[in-house]
Amino acid sequence: MADAAFWLMALLTVASAVVVVHHDKLLYSAIALLFTFFGVAGLYIFLWADFLAAVQVVIYVGGILVLVIFGIMLTNKITTVNISHTSMQRGAGGLLVAFVLGSLGLMITKTPWLVQHAAEPDQTVATIGRLLMMDYLLPFEVASLLLLGALIGAATLSRREE
Amino acid sequence: MSNLHSLSHYWPELILTATILIGIIADLFYKPKDSGKTMYWIFGGLALTAFAVKLLSDSPAAILFMGTLAHDPFAWFFKMLIVLGTVIVLLMSGKSSELKNQSVGEYYVLIGIMVFGMFLMVSSIDMIMVYLAIEIVSLMSFILAGYLKNDKSSNEASLKYVIYGGFSSGIMLYGFSILFGLTGTTKLYEIGPALATLDGTANFAIMISAIFILAGFGYKISAVPFHFWTPDVYEGSPTPVTAYLSVAPKAAGFALLIRFFSAVFGTGENVAAGIIPVSSALPWPQILAILAVMTMTLGNLVAIQQESVKRMLAYSSIAHAGYMLMGLPMLSADGISAVMVYLVMYLFMNLGAFFIVMVVQAKMGGDSFSDFSGLGWEMPLLGVAMTLFMFSLTGIPPTAGFIGKYYLFAAVIQAGPSFYWLAFAGAVNSVISLYYYIRVIRQMYLEGERSETIQVPAFMTSLIILVLAIPTLVFGVYWAPIADWVSSSMVFAIPSM
Repeated sequence: MADAAFWLMALLTVASAVVVVHHDKLLYSAIALLFTFFGVAGLYIFLWADFLAAVQVVIYVGGILVLVIFGIMLTNKITTVNISHTSMQRGAGGLLVAFVLGSLGLMITKTPWLVQHAAEPDQTVATIGRLLMMDYLLPFEVASLLLLGALIGAATLSRREE
Repeated sequence: MSNLHSLSHYWPELILTATILIGIIADLFYKPKDSGKTMYWIFGGLALTAFAVKLLSDSPAAILFMGTLAHDPFAWFFKMLIVLGTVIVLLMSGKSSELKNQSVGEYYVLIGIMVFGMFLMVSSIDMIMVYLAIEIVSLMSFILAGYLKNDKSSNEASLKYVIYGGFSSGIMLYGFSILFGLTGTTKLYEIGPALATLDGTANFAIMISAIFILAGFGYKISAVPFHFWTPDVYEGSPTPVTAYLSVAPKAAGFALLIRFFSAVFGTGENVAAGIIPVSSALPWPQILAILAVMTMTLGNLVAIQQESVKRMLAYSSIAHAGYMLMGLPMLSADGISAVMVYLVMYLFMNLGAFFIVMVVQAKMGGDSFSDFSGLGWEMPLLGVAMTLFMFSLTGIPPTAGFIGKYYLFAAVIQAGPSFYWLAFAGAVNSVISLYYYIRVIRQMYLEGERSETIQVPAFMTSLIILVLAIPTLVFGVYWAPIADWVSSSMVFAIPSM
C-alpha cells in the first residue's frame, strides 16, 4: 500500500515536471508546477519529514507559485507569447539522456546505500530547530546574507535608470 | 569549536558583514550621481578585513562553527588574495566609463557580498556550507554581469550565466546527495573515512558523484567542458566585472576544489605532509590531467580566432585555468603550492591586461584588435605595460608569469615520467598562446599611424597600471616572498575525529 502510494507520488512529481518543461503556454506550465510541488511535499512525508512537507506546501504552493501566476497574469502580453521549444540535435541529445539515465539507474540499483532503520520520530520541529541553532547555525545565518544580496540585486535590475 | 567561541576567530567576516550593511545604508544618503562614493566605505571595510585576517594569522589553525569552517593558513592565503584582487577591481571600477552613467552604490555592495561568499568558499568543510558559498558568489556574479541594463550583451551575459549557473549547481547538488546517501554525513572530513570503509560495489556511485561535483566546481573555474558560459559572459559584462570574475572567483574555486577533493576523495590527511593519499576507486590523476589538457588546448585554439581583445582574454583565462589544473593531477603538495604561486602571478597580469582593455575601450569605444593600433606610440605607458602583461601571460622571462609556469612545470616533471606528456602539452600550449598575445603587441607598435604626440593617461589610471605592472615585473625576478608565503600557507586544519 505504502509502496503504491509512493510510486503514485513519484509519478505525479515527474509527470507534472515534464509538463512544466514541455507545455507551450506559460500559465499551463505554472499550473503544472503546482502538482510538482505537491508531489515533492508528498515525498517529504514518506521520509517522515512532516514539518518540511507542510512548509513546502505553504511556501512553494501558497507563496511562490501564487506569485509566479500573478507575475504571469500582470505581465502584459506574456500569456499570448508563443514560447517555442525548438530543440536541436534531438538524436544526440536523446542518446546522452539515455546514457545518463542508464548510468543513474544502474547506480541507484547497484549501490550499497546507507540505510538507517530509524523509528518514526515523535516530533521533527524540535530536531530541526536544534540543528538550525546548533550544528548549522552559520549556514542558517549566511543564508540571510545571500537573500539580502538577492533582494538588492533584484531591486537593482528591475529599477528604471533615469 | 562551539558557535560562540568561534566568533573570536571570525572577525574578518564580521567586519565584512558590517561593511556590507554600512555600504547599503551609506548609499541611501548619496545622490545617484554621487553613488560611486559607496566605494570608499567598501574599500575601507576591506582594508580592515585584510588587517583582521593578518592579525588572526598568529592564532593556531582551528575548526569553527561545529565543523562548518576551517580556520587555517590555506584559507588565510586565499582570503588575502581575494581581498587584494577586490581592492584592485574597486579601483578599476571607479575609473570605468561603462559604469559612470549608472548608479553604482549597489554595485559595490554586491561586490562586498561576493567577497563574503568567496571567504566562505575557501574555508568551508561542510557540504551545505560549500553549496551556500557557491550560491552567494554565483548570484552576485549574475547581477554584476548584467549591471549595464541598457546594453543588450550585458543582459545576455547575465541570463546565460543564470541558466548555466543554475544547471551546474543542480548537477553538483545531485553529486552531494549521492555522497550523503553513501555516508550519511555532510562534513567533508567525515565523508572521506566513511567512503574508505565501503567495498567495491560503491565505486560506481562514488565516480558519478565525483564527476557531478566536478561539474559544479569546473563551472566556477571555467574548465572545459563546463566553460560554455565563459566567453559570452566575459564579453558582455562590464570590463571591471569581467576582470574580477576571471580572477577572484577562480581563485576561490581552486581553493574549494583542492580542499574538497583532498578531504573527500583523499584520506583526509594533511596535504602539506606530501602526497595526498587518494582512494583508489578512481583514476584521479588521469581524469584531472585530461581535464587540464582539454581546458588549455581549447582555450588557446579558440583564443587565436578572436577579433575582440576582451573575448580573446576570456578564452585565454580558460587556458590559464587549464595551466593551473596541471598542478593538481600529481596530488602532491608541490603541485598545490605551484597552483597557489600561479594564482598570485595571474592576479596581477590578468587584472592588468583587462585594465588596459578598459582604458582602450573608454578611449576608442571598442575592444577589437584594430582599436589597439598605434597605441604603443600614442600612449607609451599603456603600450609598455600591455606588452609586459602579454609577455607575462605567455610566460616569457623575466616576468611573473614565467615564474608561475616554472613552478607548475617543475611540479609536473618532478612527479615522474608518467606525467611528462602533461608537461609537453603545457609547453606546446604556451607556444600557441604566444601567437595571439604577440598579436596585441604587434597591433600596438607595428600597425596604424605612428603618433608624434604623446598622451599621458590620468593620474589614477597611471597609478593602477603601475600597481599592476610593477609586481608583474618584480615577481619575475624576485619571487621569494611569494614562494615563502605559499609554503607557509600549506597547512590545513583537520578536525580530530
